[in-house]
Amino acid sequence: MSKPLLTILATTCALALPALAHSRPITLTAQLKNYGGDGAYLAAYLTDAKGAYVRTLWVSGGKAKYHKHLSDWNRLSAGDAKRLDGVTGASVGEGRTLKVTADLADALIDAGYEIRIDAAAEDMRDSPSEVRLPLSTANAGKPQAGKQYIQSATFQLQ
Amino acid sequence: MSWKAIHRWLGLTVGTLAVVLGVTGAILAVDPVQQAWQAPAAPGDLPVATLVERVTRTVPGAEEIRHLPSGAIVVFSFAGDQPQASYVDPADGRVLGAWQPSVLPRWVKNLHRSLLLGDTGRWRAAGIALTMLLLCVSAVVLLLRRMGGWRRLAARVRGSLAQRIHVVVGRVVLGVLCLTSLTALTMSASTLELVALDTRTEPAVLSVAAGKPALPGAQLAALQGIAVQDLRKLNLPSASDPEDVWAVATAQGQAWIDRYSGQMLAWQDATLAQRVYDLAVVLHTGESAWPWAVVLGLAGASVLLFWLSGIVMWWQARRETPRIVGNIPLAQADVLIFVASEGGSTWGFAQALQDALSQCGHRVHTSALENFHTTAATRQVFVLAATYGEGQAPTHASHALEHIAKLGTNTSAVPVTVLGFGDRQFPTFCAFAEALDQALRAQGWPALLPLERIHQQSGQQFARWGVALAQALGEPLVLDYVPRLPPTTALTLIARQDYPGVTGQAAAILRFTWPAQGLGERLRGLGLARFAAGDLVGVVPPGSAVPRYYSLASGWEDGFLEICVRQMPDGLCSTHLLGLKAGDSIVAFIRSNPGFALPRTRRPVLLIAAGTGVSPLAGFIRRNDKRRPMHLYFGGRDPARDFYFGPEIQRWLGEGRLATLQTVFSRVPDGGGYVQDALRRDAERVRGLMAQGAIVRVCGSRAMARGVAEALDAVLAPLQLSVAQLKAKERYAEDVF
Repeated sequence: MSKPLLTILATTCALALPALAHSRPITLTAQLKNYGGDGAYLAAYLTDAKGAYVRTLWVSGGKAKYHKHLSDWNRLSAGDAKRLDGVTGASVGEGRTLKVTADLADALIDAGYEIRIDAAAEDMRDSPSEVRLPLSTANAGKPQAGKQYIQSATFQLQ
Repeated sequence: MSWKAIHRWLGLTVGTLAVVLGVTGAILAVDPVQQAWQAPAAPGDLPVATLVERVTRTVPGAEEIRHLPSGAIVVFSFAGDQPQASYVDPADGRVLGAWQPSVLPRWVKNLHRSLLLGDTGRWRAAGIALTMLLLCVSAVVLLLRRMGGWRRLAARVRGSLAQRIHVVVGRVVLGVLCLTSLTALTMSASTLELVALDTRTEPAVLSVAAGKPALPGAQLAALQGIAVQDLRKLNLPSASDPEDVWAVATAQGQAWIDRYSGQMLAWQDATLAQRVYDLAVVLHTGESAWPWAVVLGLAGASVLLFWLSGIVMWWQARRETPRIVGNIPLAQADVLIFVASEGGSTWGFAQALQDALSQCGHRVHTSALENFHTTAATRQVFVLAATYGEGQAPTHASHALEHIAKLGTNTSAVPVTVLGFGDRQFPTFCAFAEALDQALRAQGWPALLPLERIHQQSGQQFARWGVALAQALGEPLVLDYVPRLPPTTALTLIARQDYPGVTGQAAAILRFTWPAQGLGERLRGLGLARFAAGDLVGVVPPGSAVPRYYSLASGWEDGFLEICVRQMPDGLCSTHLLGLKAGDSIVAFIRSNPGFALPRTRRPVLLIAAGTGVSPLAGFIRRNDKRRPMHLYFGGRDPARDFYFGPEIQRWLGEGRLATLQTVFSRVPDGGGYVQDALRRDAERVRGLMAQGAIVRVCGSRAMARGVAEALDAVLAPLQLSVAQLKAKERYAEDVF
C-alpha cells in the first residue's frame, strides 16, 4: 500500500471516529398546511447562536432556479459549495409531511443553535425563516407552527 | 418525406396532445383578462418611494410590494398570524381587496405545462411545443404553395368547408401559434435547466446600524429614482431583524439598500438570459396586456379547430385517393403503370390497363408519376399522363420531369410507353405527355408503342390503343374502360329563359335548384360542392359517361345554379339540357375553376364576353355587392335574339353593380362588329383601365378569345404591356369553349 493512501486512510479515521462517538441522529418533521398551491420548496438549515449559517440539513425541490425563493437560506448558504450534497429531495405537496434525519454533533445541542426552515411555493409569497426551532433538549418534541406553509414542525433527539 | 406528409402525420398524432395544450392555454388566458379588470394599473412614472410611502401608511406590516404584469399593485403583509395579499390603489394606498394568483384551479396550468406528469410531462410539453413549431413551419410552406405565393396569400380560399376553415383560420393565427411555440420552448429550456438564467449568488449584504434610526422608504434616494413601470417587486426590511435590507427587483436588475444609510449596498444587472425569459413569459401568457391574452386565447382554441378540420381533410383525402384494386408491390411487379392526373379520371384508365394486364398473368404495380422508378423485376412501364391548364403537368406531378431528368441516362432495355390524355380543343393538347415522351426518349428509354393521345377521355380510342398493345405484346389483351365520375348530385330545373338564336341555334338560360347541405356533409365535402360564378358544372347526359362542362352564372350564395346553354349541332348534352322542362332533373357535379375567379381587390375589372360566354361574367356582376368598378364588353349577333342576360345586365347597370356596358352585334346594320372591334375603338379607355391595374376576364369561343388577345396586344403596346405579361401576373384569364 502506498504511503499517500495510508495517510488518507489514517486522516479519515481520525476525523470520522470522534464524530461517531459524539454525534446523535435527530429527526425533523414538518407537516404542511393546505395552503392552496403547488408543491412547496423547503430548506432546513442550522444557524449558530449569532445567526450565522452552519450547515444545510435538507432541501426539498430540485430546480436550482427556484432556490432564490428560499431567500434566507439562499443568501446565508451562498458560500457553502456543498450545500446541496446528498440532502435534496422532491418538493412537498400541500398537506403532506416532510420527515428527514440528520446526524448532529452533541456539542451543537443546547448551545444556542437553531434549525430554520425557509419555504416558498410558485406564485405565492416567499417565506424565509418560516419556522425557527431552537436546538435544545427541552424543545425536542415540541411542535411549532410556521408563518404560512407549515402547520407544525418538530425535531426528535434519539 | 414531403412537407405535406410531415404536416399531416405530426398533426394527426402529436396534434392530439397539442389540442390539450391549446385548449388549456385558451382557458389560462382568462387570468390576465380578469386581473386587468380587477384593480387599476399604477401610473408608470410614479416613483417607487412615493408608492412605498402610501402603502406603509395604509398597510402597517407590509413585507413585500409587487408590481404585477397587469400594472396592478399587490402588497403582502400579516394580519396577526394570518398572511395577507391585497390589491392596493396606487393613487392613495387604499386596500382594494384580496389578491389571488389565479381564479382558475391549479390543475389547468399544470395540465398545460406538464400534462399533470411532473418533470416527465414538462419534457413532453416541450416536445409538443417543438412539434407545434414544425407544424407551423410546414403550414407556411403548404399555405404558400396552395395560395400561389406571398402576393396571393389574401386571395379567396377554395375547397371543402374543412379545407377553407383550415386555411382561412391558419393564415390568421399561424404567426401567433409560431410565436407561442417559440416562447414555450424558451420557457421550457429554463425550467428543464437546459439554460441557467442567473448563476450568480446573491451578495451577502447587511444594514449597518450606526446609531441612526432606520429611514422610511419615502426618503430612500434609490427608491425615488425608480419608476413603478420598472418595478417588479420590493421587499421591505423586517421589523424584527435590525440587519435586514431593502431588496428591490426591477426589469433591469436587483438592488439591495441599507435601511439606515439608504446606500445602495449592491446591484446586479439582469442577465440577458433573464431578459429573454421575461420577454418570452410576457409574450406567451399575455399577462401584461389583456388584449394580447385574448388573441393568445383565441389562437389556443384554434388548435382544436385545426385538429378537427385536419382530421376531416385527412379523411376526405383518403376517400378521394385513387385506389387501385389488385396492386402488386413495386419490387415484385413486372409491369409498372405511372399516372399523372389532375381531376383523377386518368386513374380509371390505369385501373383498366392494370386489370387487363393482370388477366394476362402480369404482376402490375400502379403508382403516381412522381414515384417513377424501375426495379430489376421491371419488364414494361406505362405512363398515363393528363395535361393541366396551358400544357402544364398535373399539380401532383409538377416535379416529375425534373425527377426523371435526375435519373440520368438509361441503360436498361425496359420500354417506357407514354399515353397522353387531353382535349383537342386546347392548343396544348397532350403537351405534358409530349414533353414526358421527349424527355424519356432523350434519356435513352425505348418505347413499346409510340405516343398516343386520347381525346376527351374517349373509351373507344383507349380500346383501339389496347388492340395495338395486345399485338405488340403478343397477348390477348382487352381494355375495358368504365369511366369514373366524381360523386354527382341530381339538380332540378326551376326556370328557363329561351333565346331563339340567330342561325337556328336556340339557347336558354337554365336555372336549377341548389340543394343546400347539412354541416356534416359540407365538412366532409359530400353532396354538391359550394361554387362561385366562373366555376364549372359537369353535366352527365343520359347515354354518355363523359361529362360536359358549363360555366356557372351564379354562386351558391345566390341560392340557385344557373348556366347558359346553346344548341350544338348533334350535341348530346345541349340537346338533353334544352329539352328539359321545369321539374326535370340533371346529374351534375361541380369542378372549381380557381384561375378564373376574381381576386378580392378594389381594382377595376374588365369583362369581355361573346355569346353565351357572358354567363360567368354575369355571375360576377350579380354578386358585385361592393360595387367595385366592373366594365363589360359584350358581343352578340342580334340584340333581339342573343343578348343573354340582357334585362338583368341593364338592371345591374342601374344598381351600380356594373359600371359601364358596351355592346356590339355583328349581324345587324351598324351593330359595331365584333367585341374586339369595340376594344380597338375604345383603345384610350382600355389603356386607362389597364394603367389603373385592371383585371381582365375573357369568356367566349376559342376564336373570339384569340381575337380579343390580338386586339388587346395592339391596344396595350404603347403601355409596354402584353396579354402574356398580364397572364403571368394573374391579371388576365380566359374561360374558353
